[in-house]
Amino acid sequence: MRNNKLRSIYLSLFAAFVCILFPWSGIAMALRPDFMLLVILFWLLRAPNQCSVGTAWFMGLWVDLATGGIFGQYALAYTITTFFAVIYQRRLVLFSSTQQLVYVFSLLFLSQLILLILKAFAGHEFLGWSYFLPSVTGVLLWQIAVTFGLNTGRHSHGS
Amino acid sequence: MMRGIHQNFDQQQAPAFFARGPSPLARLTFFTALSLALMATDSRLQYLADVRENLMTLLHPLQVIANAPSRLYESTDEYFSTHHYLLAENARLKKQALIQDIALQRLEILSLENANLRNLLQAKQSLTETSILAEIIHVGRDSFTKKIIVNRGKNHHVITGAAAVDAKGVIGQVTRTYPSSSEITLITDKSLAIPVQIERNGLRAIAFGHGRDNTLDLPYLPANVDIKRGDRLVTSGIDGVYPAGLAVATVIEMRTTQDSPFAHIICTPTGGIENDRQLLLVSIPEVKQEAATVSIATEKSKPSTATAVTPAAVTAPAATATKPAPGPKPAIAKQPTPTPSANVESRPHAQQ
Repeated sequence: MRNNKLRSIYLSLFAAFVCILFPWSGIAMALRPDFMLLVILFWLLRAPNQCSVGTAWFMGLWVDLATGGIFGQYALAYTITTFFAVIYQRRLVLFSSTQQLVYVFSLLFLSQLILLILKAFAGHEFLGWSYFLPSVTGVLLWQIAVTFGLNTGRHSHGS
Repeated sequence: MMRGIHQNFDQQQAPAFFARGPSPLARLTFFTALSLALMATDSRLQYLADVRENLMTLLHPLQVIANAPSRLYESTDEYFSTHHYLLAENARLKKQALIQDIALQRLEILSLENANLRNLLQAKQSLTETSILAEIIHVGRDSFTKKIIVNRGKNHHVITGAAAVDAKGVIGQVTRTYPSSSEITLITDKSLAIPVQIERNGLRAIAFGHGRDNTLDLPYLPANVDIKRGDRLVTSGIDGVYPAGLAVATVIEMRTTQDSPFAHIICTPTGGIENDRQLLLVSIPEVKQEAATVSIATEKSKPSTATAVTPAAVTAPAATATKPAPGPKPAIAKQPTPTPSANVESRPHAQQ
């Protein structure tokens, strides 16, 4: 059971990473959600014993590598975001689906905000409010997944 | 409160069900510190360049896999394209080939004439540039930096600092090379500047990327500068990176304000930065003689290394650094043993 879960965690993280590597372009690039963070958040709620801050940090490093940016940017953003997900994980499973959606949105927003701050330190300018669109599409994707029967741990208390 | 309870459980030899390892706060502190250390190391020191290169080698098959669906779609699309469309395209390409043949004939005559004139003047011989056809395999996920990954790397003799060009103009510059892929920073990136020349009057300037949208800036030019809307910018070739005379951008806005001594000039790049998949990586050899002697020297010292190491890479470590070094330019000579797999073609190019 445990091994099965671990395998599905790694497989889904791998799939999310491949999604990031897709040759996105144009409007799809502006809209594409942060697949990696969504999958990490899902497993944080579902299996907090197997997937935690360390996993998020490690996957963040790979995203950093794929984006070609400075090492540690996504890792830091994911670390802080997952920390907030972990400390409220016990309460989150009792939330209603709307509350959970709001919470997931604020987590996605937070990770983008951290990245924005890090980029601002590196001398980049704010790209306009469309920068935060991936958070919106991310939450939509989450809702679609929930609608199609993905159990986000609301009724099962962890593993 | 909750965490406190769990810690108490942990202390009392809790069953595995409650074992959660270090507290989330401890993990947060540890991994944040680690990330910050990594960021500082990567941005200020060069230690991680090799690590990145090795990891990118690991990543390359994944990138190929991720590209497979779109490639499959393209190939099936091509397969089912109509007879009429193919005929039209064939006719268009034939016409284009004819025009380019004529241009090429003129080029040959001109380069011959140029060589003769240079002989007469006893000037430096014209240089031969190397160009490699590459294909974009990954567009950076990061919306702040304009970077793309192409499917040619060190194994195909791509060097850091080579210019990336498509059929319409300059796209960017190779900033990192990995064994089988390389990273190109687009000219619209904030960190990239490109020396240009106004085609109409030969005025030299430097164009800077914006990073925010697909435009270029021409800063620090006086308000009375002779630049008009619609002026074409071409590479000046004085930097030793880009071949001279390639189209870069077109001026779309030229504005002067009372409170600034500088003109406000905005241009759009002519190259298909966002829509093309294929591009050429062009590298200019700096000094032919020097490169030649270097290649002889390396052949003497390392007779067994018939590998993909260019002579330039052996002598100039700057060629493998993450940023193009301002000092000695990475020089490339014609490979003594060119591998048949590399799509390398050379054409004469008269510089300056």
